[in-house]
Amino acid sequence: MNGVPELLILTLLQHREMYGYEIVQAIRDRTGAVIAVGEGVVYPVLHGLERDGALVSRRKSVSGRSRIYYAATLAGLRRLAGLSQSWTQLAVAIQGVMKGGQYAQPIQ
Amino acid sequence: MLSPFNELQERLLMGGVAPRHVRRYLKELGDHLADLAAEEKSVGLNRQQAESTALARLGSIEELAVAMIEQRQFRAWSSRAPWAAFGLAPLLALGAAWFAALFILWSGWNIFLPGAVTPFGAGPIHGFANIYFQFGKMIYFFAPVFIGWGVALAVARQRLSIGWPTLGLAFLSLAGAAARVHAVHAVLSGGAAQVGISFSIGNSSGDIAQGLLRALVLLSLMALPYLIWRLQRAFYPSAR
Repeated sequence: MNGVPELLILTLLQHREMYGYEIVQAIRDRTGAVIAVGEGVVYPVLHGLERDGALVSRRKSVSGRSRIYYAATLAGLRRLAGLSQSWTQLAVAIQGVMKGGQYAQPIQ
Repeated sequence: MLSPFNELQERLLMGGVAPRHVRRYLKELGDHLADLAAEEKSVGLNRQQAESTALARLGSIEELAVAMIEQRQFRAWSSRAPWAAFGLAPLLALGAAWFAALFILWSGWNIFLPGAVTPFGAGPIHGFANIYFQFGKMIYFFAPVFIGWGVALAVARQRLSIGWPTLGLAFLSLAGAAARVHAVHAVLSGGAAQVGISFSIGNSSGDIAQGLLRALVLLSLMALPYLIWRLQRAFYPSAR
């Protein structure tokens, strides 16, 4: 699952800024809750991406509550493109293996 | 506001995560928890149920701690290179402080006591000149203690083990006890004022014992805030 959290987060943040809770709910909705980890572990990933320059954050007050919003940077979009490409290749390769049973011999 | 993160905070600090990253992480987790609890309440759970479900959704202490500790980029320098943070940095800071103190002594000698053979006891000094010299003296004498307190504060804040800090404080106290300031007029360079520092614990056994006693007093002064903090935690474990 290396790189998956980064891929999902950058995909969500490529068009608009979001805060942590929003990001986790969006991942849950879009993946049908298939990826089930503690929701809080999203923050170390967000902080790591921000430190790498892939995200920027800003504090914003919404309905009297202060939240930290994250948005993708140009470097983040480039990283997303790289991650998307490698995951697409990997998914195609795995699907190929799973479908391609024509060389397999059943064990007698 | 729910605050179930004391254990997580201790775990992160002991795992070497820098305090500023711990603060931010806990703040965001607190906000996230409040959002989760509100969501659970909105589907009909009572406050207690909503809070416990929210906590479970947020993740276990272990899960949350490991996710942060595994990211080495958030480690404090004191955790990444304790030898540098507690062995080298305090000595460099002491060197810088003493350089400043010597500069004040040298410049004060040239400005306020031009022609005097020595800046020490050359005659009564008043007003701004007195404040200037006393400020330099204060830096010289208190620098080891202040730097030691800084080390103790870092150890307490980051819940560090005391091996390297103790060694660092021992070096500081020895340096503090052994330092001697000299001020001379250099005859060859046309009587220019020169100040310097040398280190010696002493030549006779009596001098060495006295020097070591000075070092011990300095070490005790440096360690005092840390010892008070440890005692406070022992008697009031909930105090952070």
